[in-house]
Amino acid sequence: MSGRGGRGGRGGRGPPTNGRRAVAQNSVPWAMDSDIVLDGKPSELFPPYAIPSAPVLTKKEEKQVSFFLLFREQCQDSPLYTQARTWTQSPSAATSASAATTRAYGQDQLNKRYGQTTKATVDPFTAVPTYSHKFKKVPRTLPDLAARPFAKEFFPPELHAALDGEDESGGQAAKRRRVGPKTLGLSSITSYKTAEELFLGADGQAHQLQQGGQVGGGGSLDKALQIMSTVEKGGEDGEGEAFLSGEDDDDWVKGNGEEDEDGNGDEDDVYEDESGDDYNAEAYFDGNQDDEDYDEGGDDGGDYF
Amino acid sequence: MLVTKPVADLCALLIDELHGELPSRIFAILLSKGRSTLPQLVQYTSMTPRQLRHGLAVLQQHNLLFYHVDPGAEFAFYEANAEHAYNLVRTGKILEMIDSSFGAPAKDVMQNLLLSGQTRISDLVAAYQEKIEQANKEAAHVEDDDDFGAEKNGVNGDSHPGKKAGPLVKSTAHLNSIICRLVEAELIDVVHAKTFESSQDILKTVEKEVMDKYFPAGVKGNKAKVEVQERIAEGLRKVRGESKSLKRKLEQNGTAAKRRKLFAGAGMSNGSHDEDMDPALDPRQVIRINYEKCLVDLRNRRLVQFATDIFGETSAYVYGVLLKLLTKDIPRCRADAAMDFGEDKEESEKDTVSVTTDQILDNLKTSVDLSLGIGKAERRQVSSVAAEKIELFPPKKKLLIEEAEVEGEASADEDEDNESSDESEYDSDYKAPTANGTNGVNGTNGAKVKFDESAAPKERRLDRPTQLRQHLLMLAESTQRFVRHCGPNEWTVDFVPLMNALREVELDSVIERTCGRQGLRLVRILRAKGKLDEKALPNVALMRKPELQQKMLEMQTAGFVHVQEVPRDLKADVKKSFFLWFCDVDRSLSRLLDTSYTTMTHCIQVLEALRQKERDVLETTKRSDVRGREKDTMRKEYYERYSRFLECERKLFAQVMRVDDLVSVLRDF
Repeated sequence: MSGRGGRGGRGGRGPPTNGRRAVAQNSVPWAMDSDIVLDGKPSELFPPYAIPSAPVLTKKEEKQVSFFLLFREQCQDSPLYTQARTWTQSPSAATSASAATTRAYGQDQLNKRYGQTTKATVDPFTAVPTYSHKFKKVPRTLPDLAARPFAKEFFPPELHAALDGEDESGGQAAKRRRVGPKTLGLSSITSYKTAEELFLGADGQAHQLQQGGQVGGGGSLDKALQIMSTVEKGGEDGEGEAFLSGEDDDDWVKGNGEEDEDGNGDEDDVYEDESGDDYNAEAYFDGNQDDEDYDEGGDDGGDYF
Repeated sequence: MLVTKPVADLCALLIDELHGELPSRIFAILLSKGRSTLPQLVQYTSMTPRQLRHGLAVLQQHNLLFYHVDPGAEFAFYEANAEHAYNLVRTGKILEMIDSSFGAPAKDVMQNLLLSGQTRISDLVAAYQEKIEQANKEAAHVEDDDDFGAEKNGVNGDSHPGKKAGPLVKSTAHLNSIICRLVEAELIDVVHAKTFESSQDILKTVEKEVMDKYFPAGVKGNKAKVEVQERIAEGLRKVRGESKSLKRKLEQNGTAAKRRKLFAGAGMSNGSHDEDMDPALDPRQVIRINYEKCLVDLRNRRLVQFATDIFGETSAYVYGVLLKLLTKDIPRCRADAAMDFGEDKEESEKDTVSVTTDQILDNLKTSVDLSLGIGKAERRQVSSVAAEKIELFPPKKKLLIEEAEVEGEASADEDEDNESSDESEYDSDYKAPTANGTNGVNGTNGAKVKFDESAAPKERRLDRPTQLRQHLLMLAESTQRFVRHCGPNEWTVDFVPLMNALREVELDSVIERTCGRQGLRLVRILRAKGKLDEKALPNVALMRKPELQQKMLEMQTAGFVHVQEVPRDLKADVKKSFFLWFCDVDRSLSRLLDTSYTTMTHCIQVLEALRQKERDVLETTKRSDVRGREKDTMRKEYYERYSRFLECERKLFAQVMRVDDLVSVLRDF
């Protein structure tokens, strides 16, 4: 500050008035406050910072969150739910990330953020039909309004056709009409898994194993756990196939059936029978796009998840 | 509710979370562009009309829209209902509240009602009928394949291995009685022709009607203007009352009170006996959730929580019972200015709602020991005159902080068994300068309340009504004024000043969290002194100047204190002008509210980012063969990643709900 005043005095920017120089000299912080200590060091880039952490959830809050999550799960299961947001899920992750964060100017650009599924946007790696696509839920782009009854008198007249499911895009000759009465379906989802449940489940099993498998009914669990652990090892060593295909595996499925499910049994069998070679190569493309899996995945492909 | 950008973002995110992308997109546009017709929306969103019609139908079904059709017009005007959209975040709380006060079956019904939006009763009954029949069929099958139903769901595979003890709602009669109870509690109301008109539209139609009917020649003079307003308010009230038609019908039956009492007492045990007494509901009626009343109940819970923090559980329990009785007939937390015009007059003429001690006593559970939570003070230390003082009228409007003063003056000389032991020393220090000279003792005396169990067990064995009275008197005496003793053995609550006190407590805790005790102390000094010059502040606060300045700057950035520059002369020389620090509570509160919205939005955005990060895992868990038995089918590392994600999700939503607690105190209660 004082340096600049000096330069100005020499005639760089015209003659400064006395008053201005006085202000400039006196209004610097160390002139006003004499006991200030100037610290010339550059400030630390990442100073230690005590991150505040939220208190643990109380029981009541746990319950509220669970109810909310269950409600959300049921909502997403209902016929009126449309797919989750598309604009962060476009196939090429890099561009989508930038699309989500960059600013959009005007409504046009904002609208372009939302994904459109055309032939050009299909991801060539996952678009080849595979067996596992059977299990995939196809996201709904339009709500299935025809699936349930509405109290139509409370809707504006222009929406009535849509409510009946007769609002097809123009020119389609054959209107698909549902026959039979429409019913309001109650959601069949009755539980939402919490993280604790997931962890507890695993822990409980481990605990049971420690206590010894002689407890009645624990046999199937033990076996499952054994298989699980070997599968994990197999994943590392590339020996997992033996456990997943073959009789051992079927046995496990049956044994587990009491508490798990039976109706899917045959489906599972088919699923596992084919798990030998071709199918799993696809599964690899499906899910793990990580590089680490690339090396081992080529030859064995023994596990699915 | 003022819709700012953070609120709009938040609402769109919430709808996206619960109802999907299409409705959320339309809702965001409606919020930013305001009232629009379908062709306008087509232009804004560049979506097809068909998509828009579907999206609008979903929004309308979930009560998230207002619409208005002019007679003869081709298109309807749509408007976003931001309040209901915001209330989506409270779903968990509302369900939990219903679960704890009405039982699990009622929660199930409410959840399904929320899930399907506005619903015709007959549809709801049919849906339940189907479910019950299915459950019965399953029960008829033997246990060996009782997993069948669960397996079809695909979700609850191993979490509920055949342990389901039948459906929660046992029969249609049971369903009917549950709906009746919820309607009586006003938690469910009826959808009528005007429900989906926005409040401005309703106001306009009512205004027009009134003008046509009563004042065809125009309005002249002040008297006529007042009359117009009264008539309009009356008309609005009539429209509002329509949604309560079902409740009125139920109450006509006369058994309502009795039925309610039975339910409150024994809960589920008296199932079939009661169901016969419930009248059958008109199956054509369309019902939906009434958020306003839900908010009243949530407010009660918040106040009980507040009382628990200050007095302890027993008094808070008593307070909860009192509030429950008192708010039975309070339909909403905040009165609507236009609608309640003229209602105030009636209210003040007749008595405000109050509850007698006997009523409370009848509703207390006998298992609660009322002797807990009351301290013992020596007789001469308690002034019974001051303690039993009856205040007929609600306190006049005062500034937030000065509420403590009047109480202090009235009881300056007598020691009471007030809760000064609960208040920190700090607290009373700060209040001392605000009160008058006579109150100088206040800081030091603080009646020593003895919680001495062994002292005199016989003495404290008072009868139940007396103990109850003591709890109530204690609540009435507090500086926050939980209760007003409005007549002999009659009690009421003045919600407005009480909520102001609660708001201030919330603000104080936020200040303490962000700026520490020092900051809070400075804010309190400023509140007590009004505006203070920068140079005078160090002397008053007894702090060193540099420290003080730093603190004040920190708080100014956070928006808790504000500074005003007053020049001494025309030149407005900086060195000569005064800088006055002050704190404006309202401004701080509105700023806090805005920050809260942003925080909530960020939480949901973080969740979205997490989802993006764990995309491959989440895609796997959505597969129908993996869903419900993730543990068996997923590889361990993936499984761990999945469970970690779930934990994060829970934490984030919990955070959102906590922030919503603050928002509801600041805005809605």
